[in-house]
Amino acid sequence: MDKFKEIIRQYPFLGFVIAFIILMLVPSVFFTDLYQSHLASLICINIIVAAGLNIVKGFCGQVTVGHVGIYAVGSYTAGCMFLYLGSGLWLTLPAAILIAGLFGVAFAIPSFRLEGPYLALATLGGGEAIRLFIENGDFFMSTYGISNIPQPIIFGVPFDTPDKYYYIAMPIMLIAIYFSFSVLRSSVGRAFMAVREDPISAAASGINVKKHKMLAFVLSAMFAGGAGAVYAHLPPGYIHPNNYTVIEMVTFLAMVVFGGLGHIWGGIIGAIIITIVYDLTRPLYEYQLFIFGLTIVLTILFMPKGIGGFIDKYFIDRRFKTKTGAASK
Amino acid sequence: MKKINIIFSSLLLAVSLLVTSVAQAKDIKIGVSFRMLSDVGYKHGELIQDTVAEWNSSGGINGKKVDLILYNDECKSEKGVANATKLAYQDNVHVIIGSSCSSVTLPMVPVITKAKVPQIIPHSTSSKITLTGSEWIFRVPVSSRFYKIVQAKFTAENAGTKIAHIYVPDQASMDFSKSMIAYVKDEYGVDPVYEAQAGEKETDFRSYLLKAKATNPDALVCSGLVDETVRCLVQSYEVGIPKSVARVANSVASKVEVPTNAGKAAVGVSYAAAFAASDTRPIAKKFVKHIKSTYGVVPGHDFSQMEDLLTMLKPALEKAEKGFSGDLASDRKAVRDSIAGITNFTGLASGPISFCAAGSPECRDGNRTPVMIEYTKGGKNWKTKVAGTVTFNASAGL
Repeated sequence: MDKFKEIIRQYPFLGFVIAFIILMLVPSVFFTDLYQSHLASLICINIIVAAGLNIVKGFCGQVTVGHVGIYAVGSYTAGCMFLYLGSGLWLTLPAAILIAGLFGVAFAIPSFRLEGPYLALATLGGGEAIRLFIENGDFFMSTYGISNIPQPIIFGVPFDTPDKYYYIAMPIMLIAIYFSFSVLRSSVGRAFMAVREDPISAAASGINVKKHKMLAFVLSAMFAGGAGAVYAHLPPGYIHPNNYTVIEMVTFLAMVVFGGLGHIWGGIIGAIIITIVYDLTRPLYEYQLFIFGLTIVLTILFMPKGIGGFIDKYFIDRRFKTKTGAASK
Repeated sequence: MKKINIIFSSLLLAVSLLVTSVAQAKDIKIGVSFRMLSDVGYKHGELIQDTVAEWNSSGGINGKKVDLILYNDECKSEKGVANATKLAYQDNVHVIIGSSCSSVTLPMVPVITKAKVPQIIPHSTSSKITLTGSEWIFRVPVSSRFYKIVQAKFTAENAGTKIAHIYVPDQASMDFSKSMIAYVKDEYGVDPVYEAQAGEKETDFRSYLLKAKATNPDALVCSGLVDETVRCLVQSYEVGIPKSVARVANSVASKVEVPTNAGKAAVGVSYAAAFAASDTRPIAKKFVKHIKSTYGVVPGHDFSQMEDLLTMLKPALEKAEKGFSGDLASDRKAVRDSIAGITNFTGLASGPISFCAAGSPECRDGNRTPVMIEYTKGGKNWKTKVAGTVTFNASAGL
């Protein structure tokens, strides 16, 4: 077992290959109906957004409440590319990532001068401005939404049902997580954390604060853009400005906060739990928003480090016990 | 001991799951995806729940209990799609009712078509929905393709063709104004004297209204959701647009909040809807009285359409149930065919509702009789008069 752990530590990519194989088997083993596949695809999309949001908020410490706008940019890039150029996911996905990255630059600029609630307000305004621009633009099909966005066809097999589309969303999610891990475990990731803890000290240590803030926003936006494109192609392939409101943004933030800010696994765990809880409370529609709001408040009050905090504590305790045990022997 | 407990618990769980599945197999399941945000939205939900409870207390559908699964879609397409997928594949319903919003119903259509679940629409009016050609969709309300004609013709012939349009970025509102503009252009060769798209949830329409006033229109169209329509109507008097300018609204004006909140500004407002609370037929009077006493509101056409839907659905389910084989796919097909067989249903709608087998708009836009209504009194005790009804042929407006 220790040898296996050592191999995974040396070649983290192998871990993702194993995860890929396991996740490929999940539907046939655990899923009993197509709705669970739909939910799994949604979880994958939410994980991509949450992993990106964790970079800018959890690791770089920049408050952003406008990410849903960039998510919309990704979706509408895909939607418009289909509508006007007839493009499929394999073209719309990189384009959405690229264009969302450019929007990330625009969102990063206020962070050079603003912090905390002021930055939150600026990004909130940016996100809402994007949504309203889409909603009022005939080019974006305004409030009619864009429909019939096609699902990819691989080797003649259309991935046009929830169970099949899972096999598109899941690998993209794994690639996104791998990329997120690679960045955050690199010197760039450590620089992000230094900026989060104290920008002045970070600057004194030779870290280019502006550059790293910009990088965090751009990377994070690329994740959101990619997720947006995957969402646009999710069967039945329909996007509408109503799906990119502040409520959706709060849901994304809740995923990161619940999972644990600044924990690599935080956003992922948060995205899984929040999406499932949201679904389970669907029949309790009268109380759903109340339950959801209460969960966020209680998490912040009693679990400020989120689930990631518990995981960290578990590993620290285990390591401590192992070391103290070895010392006493 | 621990092992025994685990084995016992597992057995209990298995037995209860088996019992549940057997019980479920006997039930007829109806799924609902609905906008339950406002007070009135919840009341629509209550109407469905109460009606189904009444069915169950009087023996259900041919003795089978009806299981109602109600989800809120908040008028968001993402939630509507999730609800449709859940209802079709997880809850295994026989029929879906929904949604209230066209922008939600439209993306639900490919989901239910793939899953082969019949869906019956209580409120969405956008003509695009039935243009999808799905064999699994049925619409009880009047399609926007009929509304646009009746409203445009009524306005042009009674008020004039100099029409100013103010609409908000909402699918039904935009669809109404744009269709009306296109029809007036086609029929009378006249462009609107003023056309403006206001912002989402606009609170101040005065700048638009002042510009509209400057064009000296014969009619002013305020096409929005409830709050926007009310504000637009009230502010049209505040900016001094004379009473002689006819006020027109989309079918949203049939909602009780519009005359209640607009007060005097509602007087003279004309709109096309599927039902008028001032309808003097005994069935309509009885319904208005019932809704008023049970839910405390004067029913608009959203209530009447839901009532009609449920009234026609019950015998359709009874007929379909006789041919149920226990296989969900064929049972759903039986329900679809049974609904498609409804002809000349006479309920609260101002004309008969008929469906047929093909998945075309001609077959699935069941109600082809919009009624032109005008408010004669605003405020809490609002009153309306029926200006006229027209029954269109099935292909009108396509």
